[in-house]
Amino acid sequence: MNDKSNSSGSFCRRTRREFLWETGCGFGGTALAALLSADGFFSRPQQAVAAPSAAYHNPLAAREGHFAPKAKSVIFLFMYGGPSHIDTFDYKPGMIGQDGKTITVKTHGRGGHKNEGRIVEPRWKFQQHGECGKWVSTLFPHLSGCVDDIAFMHSMTAESPIHGSAMLMMNSGKLQSGSPAMGSWLNYGLGSVNENLPGYVVMLDPTGGPISGAKNWASGYMPATYAGTVIRPEGSPINDLSLPAETTRPMRREVLDTLAHLNQQHHATRTDQSDLASRIATYELAFRMQQHAPEAVDLNQETQSTRDLYGLDDDKTRNFGTRCLLARRLVERGVRFIQVYSGGAHNDDNWDAHGDLVANHEKHAGATDRPIAALLKDLKQRGLLDETLVIWGGEFGRQPTAEYDVGTGRDHNSYGFTMWMAGGGIKGGMSVGSTDEIGSAAVDDPMHVKRLHATVLQQMGLDPNRLSYFYRGLDQKLVGVEHVEPIHQIIA
Amino acid sequence: MTLLRKLLISANLLLAISILSWLGTCVVQARETDKHVDFATQVKPLLARRCFACHGPETGEGGLHLDNPQTALAELDSGLHAIVPGDPESSELLTRVSSTDEFMRMPPEGEPLKPEEIDTLKRWIEQGAEWKKHWAFIPPKPQTPPQVKQTKWVKNPIDAFILADLEAAELSPAPAADKRTLARRAYFNLIGLPPTNEELDEFVADNRPDAWPRLIDRLLDSEHYGEQWARHWLDVVRYAETNSFERDGPKPNAWKYRDYVIRSFNEDKPYDQFVKEQLAGDELDEVTQDSVIATGYYRLGIWDDEPADPMQALADEKDDLVSTTGQAFLGLTLGCARCHDHKVDPIPQRDYFGFVSFFADVTSYGTRGDENSNSQWTIESEETRKQRQEYNAEIGKIEREKISMEEVGIKRMSAVDQRRSETPERQELLDDKLEKFLNDSEWKLFRDTLDRLNEVRRKRDELPAAEAVLALARCEPQPEPTRLAVRGNPHVLDEVVEPHFPQLFNIPTPSIPTAKEEAHSAGRRRILADWIASPDNMLTARVIVNRVWQHHFGRGIVRSSNNFGELGDPPTHPELLDWLALWLIEHDWHLKPLHRLIMTSNAYQMSSAGNDEALAIDPMNDLFWRFDMRRLSAEELRDATLVTTGKFNPQAYGPSFYPQMSAEVLATQSQPGQGWGESSLEEQSRRSIYIHVKRSLILPQLAAFDFPDVDSTCEARFVTTQPQQALTMLNGSFFNEQAQYFAERVRATSSKKPQDQVATALRLTLGREATQDEIRSGVNLMNRLRKMHSQKPEEALRYWCLTVLNLNEYVYLD
Repeated sequence: MNDKSNSSGSFCRRTRREFLWETGCGFGGTALAALLSADGFFSRPQQAVAAPSAAYHNPLAAREGHFAPKAKSVIFLFMYGGPSHIDTFDYKPGMIGQDGKTITVKTHGRGGHKNEGRIVEPRWKFQQHGECGKWVSTLFPHLSGCVDDIAFMHSMTAESPIHGSAMLMMNSGKLQSGSPAMGSWLNYGLGSVNENLPGYVVMLDPTGGPISGAKNWASGYMPATYAGTVIRPEGSPINDLSLPAETTRPMRREVLDTLAHLNQQHHATRTDQSDLASRIATYELAFRMQQHAPEAVDLNQETQSTRDLYGLDDDKTRNFGTRCLLARRLVERGVRFIQVYSGGAHNDDNWDAHGDLVANHEKHAGATDRPIAALLKDLKQRGLLDETLVIWGGEFGRQPTAEYDVGTGRDHNSYGFTMWMAGGGIKGGMSVGSTDEIGSAAVDDPMHVKRLHATVLQQMGLDPNRLSYFYRGLDQKLVGVEHVEPIHQIIA
Repeated sequence: MTLLRKLLISANLLLAISILSWLGTCVVQARETDKHVDFATQVKPLLARRCFACHGPETGEGGLHLDNPQTALAELDSGLHAIVPGDPESSELLTRVSSTDEFMRMPPEGEPLKPEEIDTLKRWIEQGAEWKKHWAFIPPKPQTPPQVKQTKWVKNPIDAFILADLEAAELSPAPAADKRTLARRAYFNLIGLPPTNEELDEFVADNRPDAWPRLIDRLLDSEHYGEQWARHWLDVVRYAETNSFERDGPKPNAWKYRDYVIRSFNEDKPYDQFVKEQLAGDELDEVTQDSVIATGYYRLGIWDDEPADPMQALADEKDDLVSTTGQAFLGLTLGCARCHDHKVDPIPQRDYFGFVSFFADVTSYGTRGDENSNSQWTIESEETRKQRQEYNAEIGKIEREKISMEEVGIKRMSAVDQRRSETPERQELLDDKLEKFLNDSEWKLFRDTLDRLNEVRRKRDELPAAEAVLALARCEPQPEPTRLAVRGNPHVLDEVVEPHFPQLFNIPTPSIPTAKEEAHSAGRRRILADWIASPDNMLTARVIVNRVWQHHFGRGIVRSSNNFGELGDPPTHPELLDWLALWLIEHDWHLKPLHRLIMTSNAYQMSSAGNDEALAIDPMNDLFWRFDMRRLSAEELRDATLVTTGKFNPQAYGPSFYPQMSAEVLATQSQPGQGWGESSLEEQSRRSIYIHVKRSLILPQLAAFDFPDVDSTCEARFVTTQPQQALTMLNGSFFNEQAQYFAERVRATSSKKPQDQVATALRLTLGREATQDEIRSGVNLMNRLRKMHSQKPEEALRYWCLTVLNLNEYVYLD
């Protein structure tokens, strides 16, 4: 971005250092040229700034990863609040008939550490589906038709059963805030192929954001360029994107032309200052974003059958369906990382079923089942599923036992839970890892959240143990300092 | 050939091309071939970055540890020698790094060393492979300003240091900037606000020889100086007013710490005292209200009120303190030694826990049920305290008089009533019967006494209530011994580690007195603070002068101003850094004289204009051949706009305010609007440093312009250029509202002629007269908006004003 990175341009120095430190990653030709020029290597005065647009070195310029990617985009369907694994995809036939029985089991949730509890038998029947014969509960009548495209990880573990820190761990790999989210890492490592849209998009539930809000898609110690951008299906899709009410696009054009003229004159006597040229170019980029972002979220361009497929015809599924359909449109436009939240705010506005498990999960599964199935089918029929990694899961699962003396509510469980992935070079019809016979903890091949992160980076063409960012005297990584293996069993 | 390999080769090719095209630099390198290689700045960082992962202090593959001479020069497992001083041919290290065989070449991963890096190693070995200590771990030595040829250019010793390097590179310093540019530079630099047109004109017209130092002094005396420079410090100490995590709850009274920092800068508090107050303000010989507030430093970090693993969370809180303190005050990344010995710097894990041990008495921020006891300290001013004592004494005295009068009456009562007077019914009894048992004059005296009592009580109650501040309200005077956590895991504890200074300082372990039973704190932090704030500490003064330099010139002499270790950037002007550090200590750690010294140098007053020759030789301006142009910070941009439009509210100090946030932004919260208040429009026109800093809800306008992440210390802000900034400045409500105010101001101060309005807007924004072309452009825009887009003249002017606020010349400082 700025040639003259000496003026507090630690960003640029860091970029180059990054480059110098780890060029083993084999950046390809164009990408390398972009990085070099972004960093002042080509900052010859005689080359300076013919056309402003050529002078803008987008820090999000696409670059190649460490190796050929299997996936180009990620859609993370975040089931905020923590869906119960034993009521959804982790079939526990041994629990049938055990309802109400008090057993010895170690749990840790919002209510603290406990050593025994009253079993709440899974409240939905399970049936086998697909060629793989996967057991899925009746909460997902549509999604159960897609199991042959899905790899289930039944032995996920996380470090915290408390929403705030668990959300941060799922999003950034750390229990504490201040580190970049996975989407930031991908944009840092790969850039974005569409400069008219953000490279990292977040779509929230209409009830509100998740706990800790923007911390969940922050770029932490990286520049804000890599932070997630909230996109809204209604109103101004991006903050400050829409023109003020009284301004028309032709009027804006007049302002931009005048501004460009004056800025060019100012720049003419400072041709070596490429920041100035960059800034001139960003006004044109912003102008194009104003055109492209609304087009990207304009669902009127979709056929009625597609809209119906995603459940836009049903009040129950319209909200989440809209966001899933938007996610597909953003993937088509090259957005690198898209996170869609199911559930927001607090209590039963999300999957956090402390009180009435049945009502809570019927509601949220009911709102998401058809749209998610539609998303997988739609991506597949358009040939996009192979290059789009879809992730499903919450920040943790739920306990096999009841939280209170009466009722079906379950407390949080980070000792073992289920997530799944589909597309993007992931094997379908797979199930790996397992929890014990009541789903209280992962027993077979426990998989820390970091392994999920490693898998995502790997599929996107980045070596999780090499993608690093120098900060605080350390090479920081999404997966942390210790070596972390991707989940190889599910990689095709 | 693997794909990776192919890519690497294409990368090499491109790199080679870029190096070839980088002619100027090659000239510099050619000139350097016979120059002495400096181990500390040229060789060690290279070894650290490219070799230590496998051949460092922790791992020594093939028997090779390159971190110290004893092992590096020893015979390897293979029988060869990695380094043979004076004999590059026999040095296996060189053979391996320059090998073209991919299986032979070191390092095995990543890009091969660059030719000039290999050359550096070769020359170093030729010259005897001398091992020297890292520059920062040698105490600063007194420096004599070097001799230079162009002695006329030297205003003060700073110029001599700068010029000597420029002359060695055959470069000349840029000419002086013009007075308007200088004035704008000084205003933004010292007070973060633009000069008014009148102030500019006055300075330009001031032909006295000391006009410039006078201007500097005037700005240093301004209350706004503290606001501007406090902000730099707040970045370093990760200042925020909430705790992050699930609830991101407020830190009550955090703003008093912010005000303390502003006040400290405005009072030109010696930096050593500033350090001591923040680290041990509760343990100083004289504990003042300010020094207590200063310990709010310990309470600024993130805090998990509902940790999944409380022991881990507590260790994380301590880690935040060690990491922040190490970087902020010492420029050391001590935090890297939490889990293992520092990979590069000589900081063993024991030293990390020695530091933790100094903080052993620091309690956690709070508990979920009680966020106040540990962190809210109730204090009052000395005067109020004395007054309260006096009133209390007087109240006691009058109460005794009152009781003795009551006794007179009681003695005249029946035995039953006398007995009642010794029970809780006494007051009831007196209310009923006392008047009957006293004569008129006695009763009157009694009533008067009551009045006197009530009067004094009223006065006491009207005293300012004792005030709560964010501070180390509760400490552990007899803390548990600190134990080394194996691999940083607080659940696996090893040996006890006593408080001690990092070994690289080579200072004897301090003796730690045992605190008395009733003591407030353990007394360890005072020892740490005294050591950090000592003139003998080899890093403290260097680190702060470097920060001051950074905020004058846009980058530190050491660019990585939080990291003076071996992975940090070496100083571009090491002698100057040492000279400045010692100068500061000689001047009793006062920063205002340092600003004056720096700003009166010719180096500071150079133009930012480029020249081809210098750009070719030193494109990064490592040598300071010109002044670096810079973009205004997020706060400067907002504050300058308020000043320009005439809406600025200069009210200093006090609780933070809440700028209006759109519903869409608030909707990102799990409880939209929670923790965000409402402030009057007038309040909202105050300076940005007074904006409430909520960790999970940073004002988008500030975030777009690189307001730092507030969860950990920030040494230097990013300067990004991205489309969201254009959206903020053209579509965002703040700039549109301000453009409206600006248009009103322009209409009020200029004639109705469009060309006058255009020129006035430019003059108010840029501090200079408009050119004919600019006036034509503005008038043309307004005409087109009126004629082709049916805008009223006021509206057309508003669009012009918005345009002007978006000019590069407004956003960037020369």
